[in-house]
Amino acid sequence: MDAVIIKNLTKKFKEITAINVLSLKIEKGKITGLIGADGSGKTTLIRLIIGLLLPDYGEISVLDLNPSVEKDELNKKIGYMPQKFGLYEDLTVIENLKLYADLKNVPHDFEKLLKFTDLKKFQSRLAGALSGGMKQKLGLACVLLGSPEFLLLDEPSVGVDPISRRDLMQMVCNLISPKTTVLWSTSYMDEAHSFDTAIVLDQGKVIYQGNPSDLAKTSEEFENKVIDLMGGYQKTKSRIAESYISKKTDVQYTVVADNLEKLYGDFYAVKNNSFKIKKGEIFGLLGPNGAGKSTSFKMMCGLLKPTNGIAHIMGIDITEDPEKARSNLGYMAQKFSLYESLTVKQNLDFFSEIYGIHDQNLKTRVSEIIDIFGFSQIQKQKAGELPLGFKQKLSLACALIHNPPILFLDEPTSGVDVITRREFWNHITSLAQKGVTVLVTTHFMDEAEYCDRISLFYKGETVAIGTPSALKKKVKAKNMEEAFMKLILESDK
Amino acid sequence: MKILHALVKKEILQIIRDPSSVIIAFILPLISIFIYMYGINLDFVTVNIGVKNDDNSPEISQLVNSFGCSKYINSEVSDNMLDLSQKLIRSKIKGIVVIPNDFSNRLEQKQSADLMVITDGSEVNTATYLQNYILQISNQWLATSKYSQLMSPQIVNPQVRTWYNQDSNGYYFILPGSIAITMTLIGILLTALVVAREWERGTMESLLSSNVTRMHIVLGKYIPYFILGMLSMIFNMILCIGIFQVPFHGNYLVLTFVSALFLFTSMGIGLLISTKLKNQFFASQISIGIGFLPALLLSGLVFPISSMPEILQHITRVLPPRYYITFIESEFMAGTIPSVAIKSSIFLLILGIILFIAVYKNTDMRLTHD
Repeated sequence: MDAVIIKNLTKKFKEITAINVLSLKIEKGKITGLIGADGSGKTTLIRLIIGLLLPDYGEISVLDLNPSVEKDELNKKIGYMPQKFGLYEDLTVIENLKLYADLKNVPHDFEKLLKFTDLKKFQSRLAGALSGGMKQKLGLACVLLGSPEFLLLDEPSVGVDPISRRDLMQMVCNLISPKTTVLWSTSYMDEAHSFDTAIVLDQGKVIYQGNPSDLAKTSEEFENKVIDLMGGYQKTKSRIAESYISKKTDVQYTVVADNLEKLYGDFYAVKNNSFKIKKGEIFGLLGPNGAGKSTSFKMMCGLLKPTNGIAHIMGIDITEDPEKARSNLGYMAQKFSLYESLTVKQNLDFFSEIYGIHDQNLKTRVSEIIDIFGFSQIQKQKAGELPLGFKQKLSLACALIHNPPILFLDEPTSGVDVITRREFWNHITSLAQKGVTVLVTTHFMDEAEYCDRISLFYKGETVAIGTPSALKKKVKAKNMEEAFMKLILESDK
Repeated sequence: MKILHALVKKEILQIIRDPSSVIIAFILPLISIFIYMYGINLDFVTVNIGVKNDDNSPEISQLVNSFGCSKYINSEVSDNMLDLSQKLIRSKIKGIVVIPNDFSNRLEQKQSADLMVITDGSEVNTATYLQNYILQISNQWLATSKYSQLMSPQIVNPQVRTWYNQDSNGYYFILPGSIAITMTLIGILLTALVVAREWERGTMESLLSSNVTRMHIVLGKYIPYFILGMLSMIFNMILCIGIFQVPFHGNYLVLTFVSALFLFTSMGIGLLISTKLKNQFFASQISIGIGFLPALLLSGLVFPISSMPEILQHITRVLPPRYYITFIESEFMAGTIPSVAIKSSIFLLILGIILFIAVYKNTDMRLTHD
């Protein structure tokens, strides 16, 4: 029995073909993972399946209904969680649940859901004030109301820490009936590997469909196989690192945090955070959502005034001379913070200018950046219209434009596909070899392995600090993910 | 019904949480009434004039004195013409009256005598007003002076009375009219953002994949903002009638009924903008352009419709504030005039229904592009 049958489906947006003569079947009662690079058509496919978009050509049958004409009937049988979760941020947790229960005409019986999501004590908190992980749980809870026959989740675990991700997975597995069909799009290969079926999309076509364990035994192998399917990744010398011009410095510890604290009312967002990062070191800041990583980051760049403690950048006290300290920094924010209505080149021109590069130097530097980042094809495109992977690359380019000796990267690979992630880390490690100090946060535990040292952050405090292998050894874990969970759970006791 | 109830409740919670809609509904009318009340004053304030008298006959000095008798005019007598004209240039005085040295001589010889009156044409209203005033004063003086027999006997003598507004008090018609402008703005601004907001925040995608129908979405927006708009309307009326003591000669039930129809049309404009544009910033810009400016300039509040070019007169026919302003001014100042109230209601109802249908038809139940 199939929940979804698609034949020769095509969907175009102006000149771009998002779905290209695609055919597939999704089995009833199974969890199917949907993977693929950015812009490969995952979101478009999900929207077509539930009738939010109309196909240009081809046939779709979902639960024996045609979504193009029987959308109202279909809506009663499905639960769909869009990428932005679809929560009302100015309503509380319980108000969101009540709203969606009424919209689906199901009774207000939230006990089980609240217990499972651990949201019981946050019932009257505004959804907008929840951490990323909790928002996702609430979004999922709203979708699960009324026990839909077919559950569609569009990248529910973007930017979520390993613990929240595990919770999310458990929620889905425990709260659905064995008859429920699930379509789950993800960029985490370990997630995809654990599903019943995996569909790999590339340029609007299915390039693989089958049992993920047939493709590879472990999730690491699975990742490599998927990369091969998508055309493969060849590690080449990072031209970004090669073109980097390093500044001479006598400072040994380029980034120093000394007892940093941030107090909001009587709540410590960050408590006595101390670390010293050597020149050319990659220092990873890991921790669950809401642990205080971004707050620490903002204090380190002088965007937020610490309640206590000092941060030094290249030996300069950030509170004393923020401008001079910051001129040594390249900062990539978690949220895309370039001008979406400017073109790629205009963004680069603008950032060169504000970093003090002018006239002829600007022209040479910008054309050099366009060349080494491979932007020549897209330089006239608006930044807001780029696929996520390119947006992140452009953000990195803007952060590197003035050859800073220090790079701060806040979740640089969130929502980026596997191949782009590998490219990114190739650049980061090569830059570190040329003496760039890197402070980075990530939710991908395999990425944590690239770091020289890691500080594990939880509830505003440092739980553990050390090299990846030392941390794994400490709790006898076989990989970083396990180490992360063990260390966090240990500190919870 | 349950779905609609849930949507309305959700919207009301959002209104309570988000101070901006409360500010639009209650602070905006307060500010706008103050501006209309004190900022835009069509009544005359005291005007200064200069008088240069070259004729030193005692009869003439009486005329000079009577120029300053009105409570609206301050006259200043000077012999220095240069000084007076400098003052006129600097706008210290608005007019100059010059009485030539042969003025009384000519009158004695029963000849016509000239007065020179210079006014500041950059303020046309004041200039015309001054010319009339000076003519009136000199006639009055002539009638009571020893030259009175020179005047031709006046046979026609108009006795002027201003109906509905005995004191010609400007804000008696400006304030009720301003309610129409404010309510247009409120109706449009409150609703222009709310559909766009659902698209921007991605909540529309969730709604569209639930059991919600098109009518649910449309009514779910109309009902809560209609309630808020009516509260704001009542607040406006209390300000106008209760606080600023504008006399009200009409019927409160009729006023409420036609106001409700008017709000219904304004909300339709706002919702149509929001539904079409799906972008909050763009929607708010457009609503000022489409909603506020025509309401202010083409509704007949500031400039009479009858003096507009014909094409503009036709355009005003589709503007809801036009009907509402006609209605509300007569309702306040003359009492309920059935023909005006009925005509306004019919037009507002038709416009409102057309807009409602347009909103309904334009409410997308699918995503149109990514």
